[in-house]
Amino acid sequence: MTERRITAGAEEDDPAIERALTTALSTEPLDDQTLERLRATVMDEWRAANAPASFERKGRWIALSVAAVVAALAVGFIVRPTGDAAAVGTIARLDGAIDVRGTFWRHWTAHVGDALKSGETLTAHGPVLLSLMQGGTLRVAAGSVLHLTGGAEVSLAHGLVYLDVAPSIKSSTPLRILTRVGAVEHLGTQFEVLSNEGAVRIRVREGRVRLVGRAGSVVASAGTELLASVRGGISQRSVETYGRDWLWVAALAPDYDIEGRPLIDFLQWVSRELGRRVEYADAHARDLAAHTIMHGSVRGREPLEALADVLATTSLTYEMRADTIRVHSVQ
Amino acid sequence: MYEADRVLVSRMRAGEQRAFDEFFNASASRLAAFVSRRSGLDPASVEDIVQNTLIKAVRNLASYRGEAALFTWVTEICRHELADARRKAVRRPAHDSLDEPDAVAFPVPQLWVPEHREPAAEAEVHRRQEAVIRALNDLPERYARALEAKYGDGLSVKEVAALFGLTTVAAQSLLARARDAFRDRWNSESEVVVGVRRDD
Repeated sequence: MTERRITAGAEEDDPAIERALTTALSTEPLDDQTLERLRATVMDEWRAANAPASFERKGRWIALSVAAVVAALAVGFIVRPTGDAAAVGTIARLDGAIDVRGTFWRHWTAHVGDALKSGETLTAHGPVLLSLMQGGTLRVAAGSVLHLTGGAEVSLAHGLVYLDVAPSIKSSTPLRILTRVGAVEHLGTQFEVLSNEGAVRIRVREGRVRLVGRAGSVVASAGTELLASVRGGISQRSVETYGRDWLWVAALAPDYDIEGRPLIDFLQWVSRELGRRVEYADAHARDLAAHTIMHGSVRGREPLEALADVLATTSLTYEMRADTIRVHSVQ
Repeated sequence: MYEADRVLVSRMRAGEQRAFDEFFNASASRLAAFVSRRSGLDPASVEDIVQNTLIKAVRNLASYRGEAALFTWVTEICRHELADARRKAVRRPAHDSLDEPDAVAFPVPQLWVPEHREPAAEAEVHRRQEAVIRALNDLPERYARALEAKYGDGLSVKEVAALFGLTTVAAQSLLARARDAFRDRWNSESEVVVGVRRDD
């Protein structure tokens, strides 16, 4: 028995070879943010390792200039306000470990209460709630890697985050989330960003979000999902703002301090956390919510658990109907 | 032999910012492509390896003697970084411990992106790319590096010549020999059995 073999491509000339090589060897280029991050880190190391020799070789006047600059920086540091302009936020909750890589190649494990600053890279091994310096929260799913590129800028290398900045919080430089397909900008909103090597998904729960990419910008409103491929394609569809997909967000909700506050504010907080609007069955129910002042604590309780706990102590009850939390007065 | 690279390193060691910029602009993206092609790692891991490599390079500039192109010297550092990464990956446990539920809580979901190509077409593209990579791996190192520089990094023949310390004519000759050798391997990688005939 013999096999007859036909060799694919034998008759091809160099163009076919060149095409095959070019296609197989092509790789995704580094994006601008990654390059800049790398440049800053490597340049720090290069300066630390090589700069002192250059100062010795150059004249004394350069050394004096450097000394003057150092002195000026030192004065600037001493008189600097207590609040660090480069601080991005603090860790409010942590269910697992979070590794931080800082400048000068330092690594450490962060804890609740630790401040995080621009220039640091976070690897979340468990879900993390960050309280942002400029207001609002950033929730980070386990397995995410974030680079804090500036006081108002976060680069999502890989993973899933949820930004919650209430419309009442005004900032001259709203937080931007940089991704492989562009920057995600907002104005008073709640949205989720999921990024992996192939694509970025943005789900808007409240307000409006703008994705600014190389080819232009796309605006998405609440209840919209954008799916942008690193190859340039982008699609849009409607999504629910409540339900199973958002459970991880509710599980990382910041604690709500109920002591001395009106019930109606608490219901509004639950509404934002669950992505469901509050509807009052009658005027009496609304009046009760507005005039009831709460006491005690629901610390450590997820929004839905807290809602059940609080309403159990009042003459109000509730039921869930799709995107609505319907509040009734008990007859 | 690599006088221009040696001078560049001297300028970097003297603290000249423009020299650092030249080095970084010429190295970072090419190094990322080098790592991607050899490792198949995700972008964040590629970035880590590139960063570690470049940091080690700028810390050890004094050990560069100009005996090879500067980028070749950097890739040697990178090969060690890749080997370290592989060793660490082998040591990592293959499954999550049941004693550490927090470590697997709320993991990042996988994101599925609709592809424009049919699965069969996509598989065919991957198969062809793998055949090219296998053929390259079978080549002598010098040939594979020359083809990678020309077709992967997009260097001109003149730049390839500088990389290998050759004249332009010698670089053209090297590339021609490398292409011939690649063609032989690639053809045998692409062989398909199209029929079986019984010779009684």
